[in-house]
Amino acid sequence: MIKQPINRRIRFASLAMIAGAGLAAGSAQAQDKGTVNLAYVEWASEVASTNVVRAVLEQAGYEVEITSLSAAAMWQAVASGDADAIVAAWLPTTHEHYLERVSDDVVDLGTNLDGTKLGLVVPAYTDVDSIAELDENADTFDGTITGIDPGAGLMSLTEKVIENYDLEEVDLQSGSGATMTAALDSALDNKEDIVVTSWTPHWMFARWDLKYLEDPKDVYGGAEQIHTIARDGLKEDLPGAYAILDAFEWTPEQMGEVMLGNQAEDAEPYEVAKQWVAENQDVVQEWLSES
Amino acid sequence: MEIPSIPLGQWIEGGLDWLTTEYSGVTRAISRVTQTGIDGLNDALFWLPPWALLLIIVGLCWWVASYRLAIGAALGMALIWNLDLWDPMIETLTLVVIATLVAVVIALPVGIAAALSERLYRTIMPVLDFMQTMPAFVYLIPAIPFFGIGSVSAIFATVIFSMPPAIRFTTLGIRQVPKDLIEAADAYGATRRQKLLKVQLPLSLPTLMAGINQTIMLALSMVVIAAMIGADGLGSEVWRAIQRLRPGDGFEAGIAVVILAMLLDRVTQSLRKGRKS
Repeated sequence: MIKQPINRRIRFASLAMIAGAGLAAGSAQAQDKGTVNLAYVEWASEVASTNVVRAVLEQAGYEVEITSLSAAAMWQAVASGDADAIVAAWLPTTHEHYLERVSDDVVDLGTNLDGTKLGLVVPAYTDVDSIAELDENADTFDGTITGIDPGAGLMSLTEKVIENYDLEEVDLQSGSGATMTAALDSALDNKEDIVVTSWTPHWMFARWDLKYLEDPKDVYGGAEQIHTIARDGLKEDLPGAYAILDAFEWTPEQMGEVMLGNQAEDAEPYEVAKQWVAENQDVVQEWLSES
Repeated sequence: MEIPSIPLGQWIEGGLDWLTTEYSGVTRAISRVTQTGIDGLNDALFWLPPWALLLIIVGLCWWVASYRLAIGAALGMALIWNLDLWDPMIETLTLVVIATLVAVVIALPVGIAAALSERLYRTIMPVLDFMQTMPAFVYLIPAIPFFGIGSVSAIFATVIFSMPPAIRFTTLGIRQVPKDLIEAADAYGATRRQKLLKVQLPLSLPTLMAGINQTIMLALSMVVIAAMIGADGLGSEVWRAIQRLRPGDGFEAGIAVVILAMLLDRVTQSLRKGRKS
């Protein structure tokens, strides 16, 4: 019974704190330039680019929130206006079916990185060099290509590869980006052969010695690009941020610098990106001059 | 003779589109209110320095359970703090607490009504089965237009998944009240309301608490799935570690989830058994 007033006091204090927090949140929103919400997928390349864009927008005076999502959720978020933009759209193939679904609600700001690549990847010590040789060597890797999420563009292309090269002995195993890298890691540890579906830019190439299998029939096609996609209406709401997002474009080499920084133990992607932005002001100023 | 397949998927998508245009304004408003609550609770808990909150938690464990649990809580919380997972732990705690509150607020009246009406009971049981077994991924992404990305969508999905046991246990608890007690209450001329408040609910309290305990456990099992739509907390630490192939980090966050789960479980179990005098 004695506990009653103490309880009440705690309750009152927490209410007061919540009220105070509400007031604080209200005043924090009174930014002069506004807040930009970016969504991204937790792929090494997108972690690098999204954090760099965040640092650049912050330099221009915007508040930036970034949210890590699954690919489908990321597209859904930019379509519904929950995210203002994404710099992680892999087109024309990988994210093609997402863009189809939401094309009325988003604006494609074009390429922010050219020179990505899709294909089948094996450890550097593997004897096979070309997709055409896979069928006769199927037993070395159990006749399995270790894939990623079912539904990814990379997976449908790989099915087309199996068809076009007549790979009778080979099956495509779906999983996720995480299970694919885990399988690769364990095969490398045991010096076994493995074939995985992969793409560049990816951190796996920084961590391990790997090679792409040649694709003489060019089924995986030329390189893909990574696009920036903004929600409909961002241009009217935040013209300055829109202009910066539109101007943002860099090279695989530049992205590689940031990704390598992120590979270090205990690296904080946001800090790595801020440092890169600080050291590359000449490039950054080009993006900023548009706004 | 070809039997055409039923275009169920198309119907559902049509229904979703219609719901989005008609009701997303309403759900967005709910979402904003919920988000304010989440932010408030988070800020309040962040405002407390870790050692202070740790002392409060230890004190609470001692008060409702035993000194043994208090020691365990102190060690577990100190480990989470030491692993630099304090903030995500708070975010997950907030998520679970709010999801559980929402679930219980809905489950209590529904459970009581189902206990008193056989017809309603028969109607909602299949619905509960549906809620508990429908893979969360199915409604996770469609929830975004209604509740946005982040914690609110996560709470929506968590409530759907974790509410059924609270309803079932409430119904069960009230139905298990011995017949002779009900007859005695009737004999003394108790109204339905008196019967409910003075006999049925107090006697079903332990069962009810077991339901709430189940709800909390199920809510915790959703944290990683919730991270896929941008909910913060330990789940997103696990999700990130998995995607970057850093099993060590994944396990650290996973162990923090286990500690939090054990703590919440023991505390609610003790509440259920009644406080020691």
